[in-house]
Amino acid sequence: MKDAQLQIGWLCSFVPEEIIMAAGFLPMRLSGDLEGISIADAYIYPNLCPYIKSILALGLNGKAKRLDGLVFARSCDGMRRMYDVWRSYIDTRFVYMLEVPKNRDDAAVKYFATQLRRFASALQQEFGAGITPASLNQAIKTANQIRMLMRRIYELQRSIPLPLSGSEVFQLGLEGIQTDKKSFIAKLKRCHSDARSLMEPHQKEGKARVLISGNVMDRPALFYLIEAAGADVVAADLCTAMRYFEHPVDEGSDDPYLALARRYLSNLRCARMTGLNERLAEVKELIKAYTVDGIVYTSVKFCDQHLYDVPYFMEKLQEEGIPALFLENDYTWGNIGQLKTRVEAFVEILDSRRR
Amino acid sequence: MLKSFYEQMKKLSEEEFQRRPRAWPMFGAQLASIMLKAFEEDAKVVWTTYYSFPMELLAAFDVAPFDFEVACNLPPGLDPSGCADIMAKAEAKGYSIDLCSFHRLALGCYFLDYLPKADLLLTTSYFCDGKTKTNQIFAQYYDKEAIMLDVPNELSKESVAYVSGQLQTIARKLEEVSGHKLDLDRLQECIKTSNRARAVYGRLAEIGKVKPFPWDGSRVCLLSIIGNMFSGTLFQEQLYQKIIDECQQRMAEGKTLPEEFRMLWMAWFPSLPTNINEILRANKVSIVMAELARVYWDEIDENHPFEGMALRCLKNPYVGPIEQRLNGVLQLVDEYAVDGVIHFSSTACRHANASFRLIEDALAKRNIPFLILDGDMSDMRAYSAEKTRSFLETFIEVMAVRK
Repeated sequence: MKDAQLQIGWLCSFVPEEIIMAAGFLPMRLSGDLEGISIADAYIYPNLCPYIKSILALGLNGKAKRLDGLVFARSCDGMRRMYDVWRSYIDTRFVYMLEVPKNRDDAAVKYFATQLRRFASALQQEFGAGITPASLNQAIKTANQIRMLMRRIYELQRSIPLPLSGSEVFQLGLEGIQTDKKSFIAKLKRCHSDARSLMEPHQKEGKARVLISGNVMDRPALFYLIEAAGADVVAADLCTAMRYFEHPVDEGSDDPYLALARRYLSNLRCARMTGLNERLAEVKELIKAYTVDGIVYTSVKFCDQHLYDVPYFMEKLQEEGIPALFLENDYTWGNIGQLKTRVEAFVEILDSRRR
Repeated sequence: MLKSFYEQMKKLSEEEFQRRPRAWPMFGAQLASIMLKAFEEDAKVVWTTYYSFPMELLAAFDVAPFDFEVACNLPPGLDPSGCADIMAKAEAKGYSIDLCSFHRLALGCYFLDYLPKADLLLTTSYFCDGKTKTNQIFAQYYDKEAIMLDVPNELSKESVAYVSGQLQTIARKLEEVSGHKLDLDRLQECIKTSNRARAVYGRLAEIGKVKPFPWDGSRVCLLSIIGNMFSGTLFQEQLYQKIIDECQQRMAEGKTLPEEFRMLWMAWFPSLPTNINEILRANKVSIVMAELARVYWDEIDENHPFEGMALRCLKNPYVGPIEQRLNGVLQLVDEYAVDGVIHFSSTACRHANASFRLIEDALAKRNIPFLILDGDMSDMRAYSAEKTRSFLETFIEVMAVRK
């Protein structure tokens, strides 16, 4: 049976959930259909990224019927084209393409703010929902509270040894992206308190500390693999992890749409944005802040936004003496067994450098 | 290698033009001259995207526009094997074979020091993510600024203002690079020149409606992509007029090739030497029009040049929802009375290839046969002549049955 609250799906971290929440709807980030993915090949070219194909498969296989709406973002060529296919072949009441600039200067922020207002109007027009300044400000406060609580948990992960495993923190974050915000806030508070009680009073020798950087990841297979190899995942620079929870929206702004636009375009570490060196600089800051011994850079296959950056990134990290491993994945992580030896060898290198 | 390729191209084109003053060697000589200008020591070299950036703006400055995609991907037509070796240099550096061969080849050229310098790197957010990424990578390698003209997917007064504002910022950057102020009169003159060329180009496009088709379809495809590099210059208008004159002469003399089937070509045409033309000619198939050869843009308002150039970008068939592309294709299908449509799907060209099903279904409603011809534009390792033959011959049979 369908819940009373309308559910609006979204697909990219550049979609402000606050607007969906302000309309009184439940925002949900979609995870792809891993089993029925092959159906997508009949509708979209096979060498598009498997995340896109698995999302499309979700709709084509009738597994997105619970959604009252779906919001796409102009995040990449594949996403633009999936939007066309979705609204042509899948029956969803409200299908929306949010324009997201790739630049982040004042002109881009101003333009994005107009697009956010247009998105809010479209939601109101379709569902008759009232988005008021008060409801939007309240939604911003709720989202900021989640960001603040999650950041506190991330900050605990700077300690040695870790109070929580990387896979636990990652799964916690995923829950926040995919479930009701109010119950998540309560859970986050409990988790933070539990994690603090698990912290060692004094810093001790820990395991090799790994940063995972990349794009979309909806299951913790890589975390488990790294942890099983004897290392800790201390931070996850992914669009379904830290990048989603960073940077609060300015709550004191006269124009909440402008404040939202500014916050979302500050997501520099997404490879779709311009500024390759700025992105690299932020990754290096994470490496320093979390005392990282090595980085595992991962991308879904056929993701041009990330794959083009790989050689430059790896070269720059190596120049700085930061061990880095690149792993391509198929989103389902069905090839995890093939990656095992490489991950184990990488952790061994990290261990040997720490001795 | 790249410089010597264009030196040779210029020499051969000029010699050919001396023997036979035809449009194509004139085109070749001019194209090679523009490429060679970028290798001159005192040139202010602005990297750009010929087929999507509003070239009228660059024509108003004393700069050498250079497009690494076009520059690096004409040589495979002459030396596909050598170019595959160059791509391998980029692959050895970690650039995945899943990335576009155009970009792997350009990156390989960089690692072999074949490219000219860059003073500024401009590109557009369309056609593809790969071009914008490669542009940014080159900006790091050259330690120069990369600017991306971000063109939204929607047409509104806000998006026009956003794009025209970026073009004005780019103009200021071009003032710095070129060392001279933007002369608005010169820009208006470039716009007027471009508008005149647009009118002539419209007449050239009309020639595709003539049966039998009096020109070479692969050249229609090439010109639809590269022709924009001359926008804002007198040469563009002269070139189009000369092609029209030659077509009319051919028609008058009855020197056209026999034609049984008329074809619309979508997306790209390989720069590799292929058997496509040979197969089509043997089966009396003419490519009468290319998707990108459609005059999709309005005249640019010379009194509001930045808004006008922004509009041209926003109306590109590869911007916006799929209808912007699809409606253009259906219009061409009707106007050019084609018997079939071929979409050349270069392996990594995700933005062009992704929509195949929507195109296929739209054409099926009009009973127009449609073929996805998989291959690669410039990587011979990903192109199979026999597979191409098999696909094309089967498709021609389907067209014959439907006809």
